[in-house]
Amino acid sequence: MTGDEALKGIEEAIVSGDKERSSQLVEEALREIDSLTIIQRGMMPAMEMVGDRFSHGEIYLPEMLMAAEAWNEVMTLLKPKMLAAGESVAKIGTVVIGTVQTDVHEIGKNIVATLLGTAGFEVHDLGVDIPASKFIGKAEEVDADIIAASAIMTTTMTYQRDILEHLMARGLRDKYIVLVGGGVVNQKWADEIGADGYGETAADGVRVAKELLTRRKGG
Amino acid sequence: MVSFHEILERATKGPIMSSKDFDMRVFIPKVREVVEKYKIQYDPDTPCPADDDLADRIYQAAFDLYADVGTYVIDTERVIRFSREEIEDAVYEAPKEAYFGEGPDRCVFKGREPDGSEIPHCHVGSGTDTTEDVALKMVEAYGKISKAKTVSIPSVTTLGPMKSSAGSPVEILAGIYMMRIGREGLRRAGRPGMGIINHMSSCAKGVSTIAASNPDFGARPSDGWLIAPHAELKIDYSSLNQVAYLTSWGANIGQEAGPIMGGYAGGPAGTAVVATAYCFHGILVARATYHLTYPVHMTYVASTTPDMLYVVSTSGQAVSRNIGVPYYALGYAAAGSATKQYFYEAAAYLLAIQSSGMGIEDVHPNKAVVTNGALPIDSEFTCSLGHGMVGITRKEANQIIKRLMETYLGGIKNPPRGRILNECYDIHAMRPDDELRRTYDEAIRELGGMGIRFQ
Repeated sequence: MTGDEALKGIEEAIVSGDKERSSQLVEEALREIDSLTIIQRGMMPAMEMVGDRFSHGEIYLPEMLMAAEAWNEVMTLLKPKMLAAGESVAKIGTVVIGTVQTDVHEIGKNIVATLLGTAGFEVHDLGVDIPASKFIGKAEEVDADIIAASAIMTTTMTYQRDILEHLMARGLRDKYIVLVGGGVVNQKWADEIGADGYGETAADGVRVAKELLTRRKGG
Repeated sequence: MVSFHEILERATKGPIMSSKDFDMRVFIPKVREVVEKYKIQYDPDTPCPADDDLADRIYQAAFDLYADVGTYVIDTERVIRFSREEIEDAVYEAPKEAYFGEGPDRCVFKGREPDGSEIPHCHVGSGTDTTEDVALKMVEAYGKISKAKTVSIPSVTTLGPMKSSAGSPVEILAGIYMMRIGREGLRRAGRPGMGIINHMSSCAKGVSTIAASNPDFGARPSDGWLIAPHAELKIDYSSLNQVAYLTSWGANIGQEAGPIMGGYAGGPAGTAVVATAYCFHGILVARATYHLTYPVHMTYVASTTPDMLYVVSTSGQAVSRNIGVPYYALGYAAAGSATKQYFYEAAAYLLAIQSSGMGIEDVHPNKAVVTNGALPIDSEFTCSLGHGMVGITRKEANQIIKRLMETYLGGIKNPPRGRILNECYDIHAMRPDDELRRTYDEAIRELGGMGIRFQ
């Protein structure tokens, strides 16, 4: 098998969410190809394809999550080798994401987290029912670029405003890009509370995250 | 039927599992398995299938799914599971009629059959965000629609200068306020006994709902309280607390569920199965006397695309044919209120659910995310179509829906915003302005040309 064939095989195995096959192919490929090449030319194109298909409604969340699981499984194989070789994958930025206090809806947030991860962001998913101070604490801890907060109900979206007010109170407002989303959230609300960006869909959220980060970094 | 006390026992003694494992190792694989086993397929050319065998296979798939998966309890991280015999018993014993309201305004909501000739249960109103200044007028306007049997009252997220937040004291006050407004609005409409069956859309938390349900504020057990799960097939103690309170009072509980098409349930076939499975959860865990479904498209949210119509229509048929509980559906139009596209989308959705044996409810404009976005004229439309199209078959509905979709599918991604209540109504008289009346009349005329009758 040529190197290109091996990378194509890895790409297909990840797209189909086959963890065992993905790991097996990566182990075989490592005899000829370095970890970074496997990630950049086999795995990342796979997740890009998964993200595209998901955004176009060609596949659904289960298929995307299975592909993400295959990715994670393979990464546990590759990380020690990369560490030993002093290699790392360039990340776009770091995101702290969660669903706001008193809200336990997670699907939309999980989709955005997965898409951000496949787009090259380092994602710290705090889960659901997260108070403002926890978002900020984690962002400080991991030196995040973006705080992304999901809320699904009219009575929980007010906690998105809390995050911005807590940031201001701590003098940290300008340090982070704050993105908001969720079923009842719209651009008007995002503007009203002073959020930096809003995504109507998961794919929108990722696009806005990339655009705002590029702008901040002067790109 | 398994008792509610036994449900609570299983919530604390059932198998322990993380939420993620429930999703990834139990729920998702089982949905995929039953969809394949029962060969459930979505055909975009048939948004409203007239296929009894398909409906029954969806029922069987949902039964297998629920028997294997059960309901996940978020607070205890345990699974409430049931044997096949227990589920069969619950289906047999589940209430097939729900009674709402008092005195001359009292009504019965019964399960129907697909292609049935009875008038569907006409439920009007909306629990969407509404400003305080118009909330009372809105309820009054809903109550004046004589064909409406039950009503949803709006939710408010402010009380004067205070903003309501889930679980906060202001939410409790907002809930109490709307309970009073709901009752007063119906009194002003001359229908003081009418059942309000969407308690409490102003409250996200059980504690707020329970507080606002004190009879001193106007709550009656003959109203209806909606108990929502978390996607998919999960419940929390906040909801179980409400069930504990409401069953102790003998109040009507409605199982509401909005399975997400494209989420853990997968595509249209899986989502139809999951929507159906929620009825088992509703009967057993939520102790429901009536059932509401509102499948949601993960990307567009709107529920008038062919895949979403398939989901609601087939799950409606599966439930109507095999369980027979009072079952109705709420749709979300992409288009804003007071637009022709809204009426076209609403017509398609209403025809799909009515012909599939379900009760009908106003389709909510603008995906229900715009404050003061719902209009009383939407309710007139719902009831007028429901009565005019009595006896419509699934086959006839499918043909009309396909013609309707040709007119609006292109506008789903970038729908017209429309006008909110304050922009198209004389609020004092609660009358639509001339422009809206013209739009409505034109829509009715055009829809009539497609074979839709209004009464």
